[in-house]
Amino acid sequence: MLKVDGIDVHYGVIPAVRELSLSVDKGQVATLVGANGAGKTTTLKAIMGTLPAKRGTIRYKGEEITGVPADRRVGMGIALVPEGRQIFSRLTVGENLALGAYHRKDKEAIKKDREWIYTLFPVLRERINQLAGTLSGGEQQMLALGRGLMSHPELLMLDEPSLGLAPIVVVDIYEVIKEINRSGITVLLVEQNINMAMKISSYAYIMETGKIRTEGAPNEVMKRENIMKAYLGE
Amino acid sequence: MFDIRATFSKVDRRLMAVILIAVLFLCLWVASTAFSKYIVFIITLIGVYIVASASLNLTNGYTGLFSLGHAGFMAVGAYTSALLTFPVKGREIFVIPKLPMFLGGPEAAWPFLPALVMGGVFAAILAAVVGLPVLRLRGHYLSVASLGLMVLVTALAMNLRNLTRGSIGINSIPTYTNIWWAYGCAVVTVYVVWRVVNSSFGRAMKAIREDEIAARVQGINPLKYKLLAFTIGAFFAGIAGGLYAHISGAIRPYAFSFNLTFQIVIMVVLGGQGTISGPIVGTVLVTVLRYVLKPLEEALGVYGLVELIYALLLIITMLRKPEGIMGRKSGGPRGGRWVGSLGGKKS
Amino acid sequence: MIVLTPEYIIQQIFNGIVFGAMYALLALGMTVIYGILRLIHFAHGALITVGSFCFYLLFMVLGLPFPAAIVLVIGLGALMGLILDMVAYKKAVGGPEVSMLITSLGFYIFIENLMKLIVSPQPYAFQSPPFLDTIYSMPVLTFRTIDIFIIATSIAIMVFFTLFVKKTKMGVAMRATSESGEAARMVGINIGRVISISFIIASAIAAITGFMWGAKYGQIAYNMGFMAGVKAFVAIVIGGVGSIPGAMLGGFILGILETFSVAFLPPGYAAYRDGIVFFILILILIVKPSGILGQREVE
Ligand SMILES: Nc1ncnc2c1ncn2[C@@H]1O[C@H](COP(=O)(O)OP(=O)(O)O)[C@@H](O)[C@H]1O
Ligand SMILES: [Mg+2]
Repeated sequence: MLKVDGIDVHYGVIPAVRELSLSVDKGQVATLVGANGAGKTTTLKAIMGTLPAKRGTIRYKGEEITGVPADRRVGMGIALVPEGRQIFSRLTVGENLALGAYHRKDKEAIKKDREWIYTLFPVLRERINQLAGTLSGGEQQMLALGRGLMSHPELLMLDEPSLGLAPIVVVDIYEVIKEINRSGITVLLVEQNINMAMKISSYAYIMETGKIRTEGAPNEVMKRENIMKAYLGE
Repeated sequence: MFDIRATFSKVDRRLMAVILIAVLFLCLWVASTAFSKYIVFIITLIGVYIVASASLNLTNGYTGLFSLGHAGFMAVGAYTSALLTFPVKGREIFVIPKLPMFLGGPEAAWPFLPALVMGGVFAAILAAVVGLPVLRLRGHYLSVASLGLMVLVTALAMNLRNLTRGSIGINSIPTYTNIWWAYGCAVVTVYVVWRVVNSSFGRAMKAIREDEIAARVQGINPLKYKLLAFTIGAFFAGIAGGLYAHISGAIRPYAFSFNLTFQIVIMVVLGGQGTISGPIVGTVLVTVLRYVLKPLEEALGVYGLVELIYALLLIITMLRKPEGIMGRKSGGPRGGRWVGSLGGKKS
Repeated sequence: MIVLTPEYIIQQIFNGIVFGAMYALLALGMTVIYGILRLIHFAHGALITVGSFCFYLLFMVLGLPFPAAIVLVIGLGALMGLILDMVAYKKAVGGPEVSMLITSLGFYIFIENLMKLIVSPQPYAFQSPPFLDTIYSMPVLTFRTIDIFIIATSIAIMVFFTLFVKKTKMGVAMRATSESGEAARMVGINIGRVISISFIIASAIAAITGFMWGAKYGQIAYNMGFMAGVKAFVAIVIGGVGSIPGAMLGGFILGILETFSVAFLPPGYAAYRDGIVFFILILILIVKPSGILGQREVE
């Protein structure tokens, strides 16, 4: 589904991600974990296309998309629910959702997706005319997820969806992520909260200072990590 | 790069500076004897503008206040110093008020240096008084308020006819400003800016520029430093105004208006805000360009050509080097809103 | 001495609204561009110069019918906006705000001097079509048709624009982009197109404002756009940077303040006009540091 091959991503002259490769299979929940500042967000933005990859290639469904601008990638079925939600706070909930489907013309299907999102997050329906900036943190995360889903993605990337949320809300959000995956959407999840993420994913990457440190099945990766920690005393 | 700099001892750099200044003055001396009066005038004018641009750099470049009021402070300095130095004999004929007792009395005219300093002091006082309420504003709000201050100053210069002769302006000001005065002041200004910027004071200013809230958390009082930067900037703007009055020999309110303010801002930004060399380079470029192209314009009879070329170069430079000619590229994308490509083109 | 009769006051308010409407239109375009690019588009003022001279050429020199001339002026303004956007701002975005500002000053200087070369430095007498020149004298108010034309057209443009921004897909995309360019791209908005469309709309509005400006003042000159640009900038700041209703409100406030500071000042103090206007503006900012309708500027 997604194959990232040896990409470098810079901020101006400062490198943030170096020679990073990863791949995500169709239908999978893959997860990318790592400490703060490891380069996870940068990686997702490069996949989304809002940051350019200086080197390497990004392939999606067999097609190279390295040079394709972000807005066209949305049309190809890639969506990113960004870190810190980045909903449009001065727009209403309804307008935020409508913008998720910005590139789509299929009115009927849009309506169906909207209904589905309302069943996932009933609270959004009640808040439809409210300014997004006035929602609670959990509701904003739901809106960000809903906005991402409105683009009818095949690959949904989630950047720290649990950040700053109460534990109960996190559990809810993770239930929904599972539900989304069951509906056939491939998920690439970024988390600092390892345990939660590992539980629902079938493949894991661990990032450290701009590179992938280890990868594999979640339980194996966890084991290896624990051994490393024991050795290195981290 | 930083390591190399660090290995330079302070003494070495000071020595370098002294040598540089000596070379500068040697060049100026050669220029003042070898070149025509007109060219020497232009070189002198560049020195005057450097005083203005280097001081604006202190507020706009280093402290991050986008002030558009510099011409207003220059006006204060120009009028103050011109009124002080105006020869006693001419005062009656030119309807210039005699000096009151506390400024030396009706039979006195000031020598150039104290008059110049007084102009700076008046400008600084105005900056301090106005800055207290106005510097609480940020970004564009501060720009408009400072622009408003400039408009107010020109309006006063237009209307306080007993003092300023209104729109007619003051003529026959003694032309004391020569190449030595101009560059003496320029060197002092640049030196003061450099000292300020490299002190703990300057670090606080830069901290405010980068992130005012973070600076406040570190215990820096933003208003205090902004006010100081604004006041010092205004002092030298006043000096620049005084030098200008005494080189052109005539001042009028509208000489210190939008055109001048924007021109100084352009010099600073073009050269590179927040660097010592930037405003100097910007000033030299802008002024030289104007006067070099002028004869060409006259020869071709295409009036407006100078400005057209000037505008084009300005646009091209800013598109190519948004941080200014001497500016350093900042690490991350500023603002971070436009990372990557826009629609259509390759990422 | 000025006699402050109610009629006089009403008349001055009316005049202020007419001038304010024109400032509001300019500020509207400028604030839309600012919202999306974080660019103070000083060159916006140049478009009123271009618009007014273009009308002069089409209507007074070539003798085209009034509606045709107006439509062409609007079209030309839109085209100018597209050109400005293509040659410059697509490349300028992302730079520090000040360098974008200087770029736009550069564009202003360029257009102004090009106009000066083409039309000469002399001002031109600008005659509006006779049907806009009729004077009506009512008991409380005297006005020309052009005044009504300006107020009606401005209000129509403002209403349409507000509906556009509130109701249409592109309008919502514009608001989204002005909140966060990055998030807008993530949801699939082609920002390049949003920028182009903003420039086209803003510039078309500025061009028709150029016609109104000329008709109201009766005179046009190559450098008329400078103060217009500065005033539009002032208006958006007073109203609250980035706020569309704020820009319009700022424009009206500025127009009314200017008219009043002439109308209610003793004759000898006319030269204080700009000083008084800016003094009041500074006071407004001290009381409302983020403009009248603005959010706090996030740095
Ligand atoms: N806008 C930016 N400008 C410059 N450096 C940045 C920017 N955003 C992130 N970085 C740097 O890039 C590195 C990776 O950041 P990021 O991808 O956000 O990490 P993570 O998401 O894993 O916490 C960090 O060192 C961070 O400081
Ligand atoms: Mg992150």
